[in-house]
Amino acid sequence: MPVADPPPLSRRAFLARIGVLGAALGGGGLLARSMLAPADAATNPLLPPAVDLIRPVLAELARDTLNGLTVFAMPGPDAYSRTQGTLSRTPGALEAGATDFMINALDHFVPFPDAIAQPVGAALVTGLADSGIALPGLDLLPVELRSLDQALAAYLQSDAALPLSFPIAGLLNLMATQVNPLAVNGPHLSPFARLTYAEKAAAFELIEKTDSDLVALLDVQFPEPLKGSVSGLLKFVGGALIEFATFGAYSEYGVFDPDTRTLRKRPVAWTLSGYQPNGPVEGWDDFIGYYQGRMEVHD
Amino acid sequence: MRDVIVIGAGGGGPVVAKELAAKGLDVLLLEAGPRHAKPREEWTTFEDDANNPLTGYFRLGPTDRSKPAWYREWPQNSFVWQLSGVGGTTQHFYGNYPRAYPGVFKGYDGADRNGYDVNHRFPFTYAEMVPYFEWVEALMPVQTAAMGHKEQMFFRGAETLGLPVQTTKTTHEPSYRPQENAILQPGGTAGKTSDKNLLNYPQATGCTFCGYCFQGCMRPNGAPRNQFAKRSTDNSYVPMALTANVWARGGKPIELIADAYVTRVHTESRHGVLTASGVTWRDNVSGEEHREDARVVVMSGGCTENPRLWFNSGLPNPNGWVGRGYTDHFFDWMIGSFDEYTGNPKGVGSSARLDYPPYGGLENVGLPPALSAFGGTLSDSGIRGQYKNGRGKTGPWDGPAGRVMGPELKELMAGGIDKLLTVLVITDDDVEAQNRVTLSALPADENGPIPKVTFKQRKRTKRTLKNREFMARKAAELLRGAGAKKVYRVDWAPLILHVQSSMRMGESEQNSVLDARGETRAVKRLFIADNSALSNGLGGPNPTLTSQALATRTAEKIFQTYFDGDPWVRTDSPVVSTDPRISVRLGQLGL
Repeated sequence: MPVADPPPLSRRAFLARIGVLGAALGGGGLLARSMLAPADAATNPLLPPAVDLIRPVLAELARDTLNGLTVFAMPGPDAYSRTQGTLSRTPGALEAGATDFMINALDHFVPFPDAIAQPVGAALVTGLADSGIALPGLDLLPVELRSLDQALAAYLQSDAALPLSFPIAGLLNLMATQVNPLAVNGPHLSPFARLTYAEKAAAFELIEKTDSDLVALLDVQFPEPLKGSVSGLLKFVGGALIEFATFGAYSEYGVFDPDTRTLRKRPVAWTLSGYQPNGPVEGWDDFIGYYQGRMEVHD
Repeated sequence: MRDVIVIGAGGGGPVVAKELAAKGLDVLLLEAGPRHAKPREEWTTFEDDANNPLTGYFRLGPTDRSKPAWYREWPQNSFVWQLSGVGGTTQHFYGNYPRAYPGVFKGYDGADRNGYDVNHRFPFTYAEMVPYFEWVEALMPVQTAAMGHKEQMFFRGAETLGLPVQTTKTTHEPSYRPQENAILQPGGTAGKTSDKNLLNYPQATGCTFCGYCFQGCMRPNGAPRNQFAKRSTDNSYVPMALTANVWARGGKPIELIADAYVTRVHTESRHGVLTASGVTWRDNVSGEEHREDARVVVMSGGCTENPRLWFNSGLPNPNGWVGRGYTDHFFDWMIGSFDEYTGNPKGVGSSARLDYPPYGGLENVGLPPALSAFGGTLSDSGIRGQYKNGRGKTGPWDGPAGRVMGPELKELMAGGIDKLLTVLVITDDDVEAQNRVTLSALPADENGPIPKVTFKQRKRTKRTLKNREFMARKAAELLRGAGAKKVYRVDWAPLILHVQSSMRMGESEQNSVLDARGETRAVKRLFIADNSALSNGLGGPNPTLTSQALATRTAEKIFQTYFDGDPWVRTDSPVVSTDPRISVRLGQLGL
């Protein structure tokens, strides 16, 4: 069997841009390079297949990216807010559990048909061409890169339902590196989390732009009549990510006990905003009277 | 064979069900979502638990919350706030019951007659509608809203605009007033104490000012279901329909089945005329399909689901207007921040309004923190101070319109949710063919192909866009007048909450689905009774009263046309929905 050519440079750049390369193998990456070395994989039956190795990497990458998103919605005293340049003294999205809120919603409750999620994910991860942006610091052996790329492809083509948090993270990271190519390296695991607040806003501007290149690229992946649907979805997703992350950060999600339907603690946003200082009520003494004393009107 | 099958127990279906049950007809009411028979055991007061559109108890989905919600396609930045469950969107509404402006009806000849959506008026006069308004107003009952601090502040702002106070049910001119709402006025200790031990029924009656309208009304604690303060249909029409034998002579209680998703309306040709004959529904729990026949079928699934059911049933659409002409009042959102106490999250969600025919209107809206934050970030104008997405209008508000988010939102909320006053900008928007429901090309769900809701928000008519700008300016002036130190305009992306006219009734066969009696032009014995039947956006007033008045009229037409009955609205007086006979019977039924 002939040896396949190593993936071209554009694949390396793409894997870097969606964050997979850095999360797997970059400085602070989650996989030892040797784990993806074909010699080991071929000779050591105790090592899991590459596709099993990559699954937790992608989950961590998604979590890190969404940390970058939720602090964008509600900054706090955490490292992600610091990187973003909006450090705040009072608790924020991470303390409110907003990242778990997003992951739970995306992976378990967005009633998004797999028949669409799979090709969108695949389009994002395998279909997009190199944009020609020069990316620094990616000294990687072709053989490791190929293994990673193959593992990713195998994962996307497997029958397992794709957690939606992954293509969403891929989208944010792709836009992040469009805004700032240097974001492929640095603190945190994901390019999006490395952006400043203004850069994150610029990334969302790209997503929301109705004529964005990304929208055009995605539509190419789908035949009619789905063409417009995919680009339309993306316009929706851009807004929804911001709105939903904000709703989650300001809600009781992180401290709600579904079994007792009570709160374990006071929600972050209640303390911040002074909402119902003594918890839920049966009523308030806020009845003043009737405007101009009028209790009923007639024609 | 039933007399009547009603599809959907939201704001409209239970009206027809109750009115015809009172006449002794055999009525089956089918609801796709949960029953919510025991709110104290099923609901809380928390925003995510209640209002999360994916997982909350007020979502569009089956009763079993471990199952996903029903996915709908929105090919634009927007939010279509559909709800399943008995009560439909009245479960989370604020109970506002203003009448439609007279200018949206046939024959209106006021000085401003050319200022309305003149091509899409109701096919009958305002005077003809008045008895039906009065019937619903007496039944709910609709009363003048009690005032809290946020209303006092709204009025303080409205007083600076040089407009009169409206003291009639009918809106004749630009004016402001307390809402006429379907919220029982506070009685006893209600509204006068925050001590929960003093707020049990009957020591407290009516609205306790809890501030949880959007999470569902189950107060005062201990009250019978039909005496909860907010007159959502699960607290008013549905209890009446289920107990029709005790309050109507010859009345027959309806049968209500929840978790019953109607997937098909059946028809047959009778003497060459296409005629509705029954429905098929799918049990959400077992997946089993059931079919029943009926003499009359009434669609009340709402503006998004009715067109979907129509298409999935293969019914004819000769003029192409099924699903078209969807109006939504093209809302906008204005946030004022104050140095003084506003009482923002307390009391009924909205108890003050300003009407401005023929432009639209304004109302105050109080919200808890997560919904406030959501409201601040739903925008078509990017992020304030960062990008404008091609818009970012400036005006009498501070800075460009856009999302208030991130550090700016946190600072605003840290100032205190009790220091905010928010105003909903309501646009008198035109019926437009391009704003519509079609079937989606995305994969079907278990109930068939799904609906796609398209709104071309940037390409709406000149009149609609002009009206929205006019009302947004009025909102900013009102907030300044009330003493706001800062005013933010969000420029909402379409938040589709007031829904109207996607299966509209009209005079012309060219641009309507229903004739002037509420029957579909294409299929006999098939009626539509909910907001989708409305001819237009009403000029801006919240649609529930007009929708229920129209549904009452449609019930009369059904009874006259197909059951040889006599009309009753002009001759009888309605039983009030709080009637103690209903309460007693609900107790016997374990409801």
